[in-house]
Amino acid sequence: MTETKLTARNVDVFYGPKKAIDNVSIDIDNGIVTAFIGPSGCGKSTFLRSLNRMNDTIAGARVTGEILLDGEDIYAPSMDPVALRARVGMVFQKPNPFPKSIYENIAYGPRIHGLASSKAEMDAIIESSLTKAGLWDEVKDRLSDAGTALSGGQQQRLCIARAIAVSPEVILMDEPCSALDPIATAKIEELIDELKENYAIVIVTHSMQQAARVSQRTAFFHLGNLVEYGETSEIFTNPREEKTKDYITGRYG
Amino acid sequence: MSNSTFSSPAFAKRLAQRHAAERRFKLIGLGAIVISLAFLALLLVIMMRNGLGGLNWNFLSGSDSTDPHIAGIWSAAKGSILTMLVTLLLSFPMGVLAAIYLEEFAPRSRWIELVEVSINNLAAVPSIIFGLLGLAVFINTFNMPRSSPLVGGLTLALMTMPVIVISGRNAIKAVPPSIRDAALAVGASKVQAVFHHVLPLALPGILTGTIIGMARALGETAPLLMIGMRAFIVTPPDGITAPSSVLPMQIFLWSDEIDKAFVQNTSAAIIVLLVFLLVMNGLAIYLRNKFEVRW
Repeated sequence: MTETKLTARNVDVFYGPKKAIDNVSIDIDNGIVTAFIGPSGCGKSTFLRSLNRMNDTIAGARVTGEILLDGEDIYAPSMDPVALRARVGMVFQKPNPFPKSIYENIAYGPRIHGLASSKAEMDAIIESSLTKAGLWDEVKDRLSDAGTALSGGQQQRLCIARAIAVSPEVILMDEPCSALDPIATAKIEELIDELKENYAIVIVTHSMQQAARVSQRTAFFHLGNLVEYGETSEIFTNPREEKTKDYITGRYG
Repeated sequence: MSNSTFSSPAFAKRLAQRHAAERRFKLIGLGAIVISLAFLALLLVIMMRNGLGGLNWNFLSGSDSTDPHIAGIWSAAKGSILTMLVTLLLSFPMGVLAAIYLEEFAPRSRWIELVEVSINNLAAVPSIIFGLLGLAVFINTFNMPRSSPLVGGLTLALMTMPVIVISGRNAIKAVPPSIRDAALAVGASKVQAVFHHVLPLALPGILTGTIIGMARALGETAPLLMIGMRAFIVTPPDGITAPSSVLPMQIFLWSDEIDKAFVQNTSAAIIVLLVFLLVMNGLAIYLRNKFEVRW
């Protein structure tokens, strides 16, 4: 049923002379959640950030190989990183709402891309984004309050709503729950599960339980290599590689 | 075991020593503040005693004169206002843009490092050198009018800009990178991320640096001597190209007079300069609080 959204072919990522990602090839499908797991420093976040060219902002970072979004090379000279990031949204480890109102947090993206031509249209985008992020009922009466005044879990859902508001096709999440308590984490996971219908979602996580709960496919990274990639149920019950088995059974990590 | 450690006489003694050190530090800190404030108070008292009697409408609205009873401060004050305007209008935008470029856009290279070192050095150059530069470049090369607020403002802008660049860069650096990431991730361009999100958050810090730079420029005398702003001005300047003096220069000139009656004028002028400074700082603090974003 699924179709390939993102394809990486022989991707290397360098930070200066240091190779952080070594020859990774992977297909990421639409409509499901793909989890990247692996020990700290294995390159999973680095690889994630190369999928929407956020690595461009790091001095000395370099990507070789091919990353295709719907068959289009995102590192081609004709690809505008600004347009790309509107299509491939991102949610970060630490909730990072703008120090502005809840409304403004969501409205910023649609406004710079010209997605709403009237106040009513913008209001509709705000409501639908917050609803999809499961935050509407909690904040609908205080949209002018500061986004930074919300609780950590609410802030993270606000950041998800902000990413949704520009109608991306892919949402990248870099350990979105690592700064949250278990209840907020459960809400975000539930949300991820609902969102996967409409987006390709890639989530980097430290927690294997989380990967097992929310993802349909899992990729295991180790020392910059993609060790194993497959159905989440397969990876966790019947890993092919010794290294994967050691990691998921808690031998190291 | 641990109980005996924390109730032993040796521990009690160490604890007492630590408390004593704490008290000592508070006392020394308080002393430092009291001493510096005492000198400020002394200065204010002396100035008030000598100068308050000379503060009247004639003094505030008059211009320089050889007769101390007719001499007034307005021509110098207006010169200072015009000079500061020129300085602010040039050094603030240039300083902020330079700070943004260096911090957010400049590629890391030898050249940029050289530029950074130069700007840091520029902030430490003695002001009289800027006066010589102003004389050589603005007056002799560009033929701008001597003694004018225009040239004075340009010269002081050269001095003020590095201060604004340095404080601006620090303020920009203090904006958390996560805000840039957030803006870029929804598809803002680099320039949009900087101007919509980074700059507003850095503005209070930039304004603080601007206050410091402008306050220094307001009190500056040496470089203005070099560009002829010590002229005897009997009419207030009617524009930035008219011959003019500035407040500290007027103080300097009057303090040099033989006539004893100018002592009162000098003190009164110092009071005016201090009030000027207070108003400027007050305005800047008001603006800073207005732009401050609470997290």
